[in-house]
Amino acid sequence: MTDVSPISANPREVAAQIFRARAHSAEVEARPQSEITNKPRSFNPPMPKRYYYYLMAPAIAILAFISLYPFFWLIVMSLQDVDIGGGEWVGFKNYVKLFSDGRFLDGWWLLAQYSVMCLGLQVGLGVLLAVVVNSSKYEKYLVTALLMPMMMAPAVAGLLWLFLYNGTFGWYHWILQSAGILDNASILASANTAMYAIVLVDVWQWTPLITIIALAGLKRVPRDQLEANMVDGASPLRNFFAITMPNLYPVLLIAVLLRFMDNFRFIDSVLVLTGGGPGSATKILPVYLFEVAFKFFKLGRGAAIALTLLIVTIILGKLLVRVFEKPQNEKG
Amino acid sequence: MATVTIKNVWKYYGETPAVKDLNITCPDGSFVSILGPSGCGKSSTMRMLAGLEHISAGDILFDDQRVNDLAPKDRDVAMVFENYALYPHKTVYENIANPLRLRKASEDTIKARVTGAAKLLEISHLLERRPHELSGGQKQRVAIGRAIVREPKLFLFDEPIAHLDAKLRAHMRGEIKHLQRSLGTTMIYVTHDQLEALSMADYIAVMHDGELQQWGTPAEIFNHPVNAWVAGFVGEPAMNFLTCDIKGQGDDVLLRHSNFEIPLLPGQVRQLNGAAQAGTARMGVRPDALSISMTRPDEAAMQGEIFVNELLGGDMLVEVQLDDCRIRVKTTPEFEGKPGENCFLSVNRDKWHVFDAGDGHAYF
Repeated sequence: MTDVSPISANPREVAAQIFRARAHSAEVEARPQSEITNKPRSFNPPMPKRYYYYLMAPAIAILAFISLYPFFWLIVMSLQDVDIGGGEWVGFKNYVKLFSDGRFLDGWWLLAQYSVMCLGLQVGLGVLLAVVVNSSKYEKYLVTALLMPMMMAPAVAGLLWLFLYNGTFGWYHWILQSAGILDNASILASANTAMYAIVLVDVWQWTPLITIIALAGLKRVPRDQLEANMVDGASPLRNFFAITMPNLYPVLLIAVLLRFMDNFRFIDSVLVLTGGGPGSATKILPVYLFEVAFKFFKLGRGAAIALTLLIVTIILGKLLVRVFEKPQNEKG
Repeated sequence: MATVTIKNVWKYYGETPAVKDLNITCPDGSFVSILGPSGCGKSSTMRMLAGLEHISAGDILFDDQRVNDLAPKDRDVAMVFENYALYPHKTVYENIANPLRLRKASEDTIKARVTGAAKLLEISHLLERRPHELSGGQKQRVAIGRAIVREPKLFLFDEPIAHLDAKLRAHMRGEIKHLQRSLGTTMIYVTHDQLEALSMADYIAVMHDGELQQWGTPAEIFNHPVNAWVAGFVGEPAMNFLTCDIKGQGDDVLLRHSNFEIPLLPGQVRQLNGAAQAGTARMGVRPDALSISMTRPDEAAMQGEIFVNELLGGDMLVEVQLDDCRIRVKTTPEFEGKPGENCFLSVNRDKWHVFDAGDGHAYF
């Protein structure tokens, strides 16, 4: 039994051994970096840079073919007066003409109204719904129910609401008229209400997206921070704005960015519901673009409008990111 | 400052009781530690005190005021969380100032209090930083700063130093104790680390399975545990337990093991009070109440074989095989026995304990 332990049982000797080992390790640590010569050999030695480009080349080629090529054609087209069968080079005339085009400028103004209303309502309602759903014990079922409108094709949603708004048998029309809010005019045929009508459809269809994203964000809010703030003396409302919202900003940014770009692009439901009418009360810029390019076949001007729209979208997107990232940056 | 009374408090999570009929009275200005393993209900108790958890039954009183139905913000308590729970988007200054801002203190008061707290905790140079730029120990100081800046009735500390490394933990133990003494505010400190509880608290409440096992000063808990569970939980290295027979022999009462027969001291015979006469019992003895030698000191000594030696710096822990069980003995590093050799153990009978073999309550 005496040889069970390889270490000497004499404590002084053991202590001495440990001491020696420590001293040795300190010595190793104290050695300057440059003296350590046998660096571990990398199993992935760096390759020359062009090697990576070779690897990316096929993907870039496909991407160029399906997306860059049409994009460049768009630019070229915007500098031409394009008609069926050919185009004539006109330089920047298409762009210059846009600024004296009243309907183009109106289109911008209407688009601004439309997006601000849509985004405001969607974010407000979406976050509110997320809070409600998050604290409900029927969360699973509520989420499923909320997802329904999103699964519908926008054009179909437009048709659905077309029926609901219908001046003869539409349900909403009937309710509002019974309540005395609406006179005999149809909701969609009245310049006063048509804009609100299309906003409502967008809100109905896309608020759930914000809710789902905000719900995911809510799950991430650290509970101990909420509790610490409560003990510090915060009311629930104060707690929400001081702790929950800063934690929600990053996810809300993504949601708002998505929705804002969609508002600038997706016009399926607007086309189905009003087609830009009555008059041009709902002729937001993308609807006008659709008309110019595919109803009047002024492809050159259409391309110019499209490019303007794209540039503004990019600029606004950047601004939005900056605004939202501020509270984030503070987090560091 | 307040006297905290926990009266017949129960906490249920669904059908599961987490705290069972808890009764504790923390005197004004005292440092009370709630000690227990994870899942013993100590954190639930603390959360009920803070108002973060509903009280299923019973009352919690601060002085004479029943606080069951008060929201956390109205209880005037300050809490330090296990994970610090600092607000990441605020600077250290704003973190500490938060409770004052929420109570609408004036800017001058805030500035004075925050800088005062920062000075006390030696974090004045960190005030402009954000929590992610701090080390664990610094974060913990900020969390404490946030708690003390308001001068509340009661401090609640929920394992605040569990995540620090051993050296810093030892340092912070002293700091927190000193802080509590100088502020004089009642403090309830939850921990699973018996060393923290023993070294810091005025009173310890030992909890197990949602029940209060023992309430007492650290010395009482350590020297006179009320049952085998408390005896085994408190103390490092842990107490040794041996199952023995109790046998009367003339005027003496003997504790008999296959290895030894040792008479109880006369006072202990009285404490045993005939309750366990001629039955089995569990003897408990701490490693430092045993002494080890290579030669037989007297007839009553236990005889065993050294199983392993562990050198713990200033002490040596020897594990001894005693028939079918092993017990640990604390001795000096000069001890020369080697594993496999025979040795003898004698017990300091003033410091041993006998527990009931059934429910484990202590006779002495």
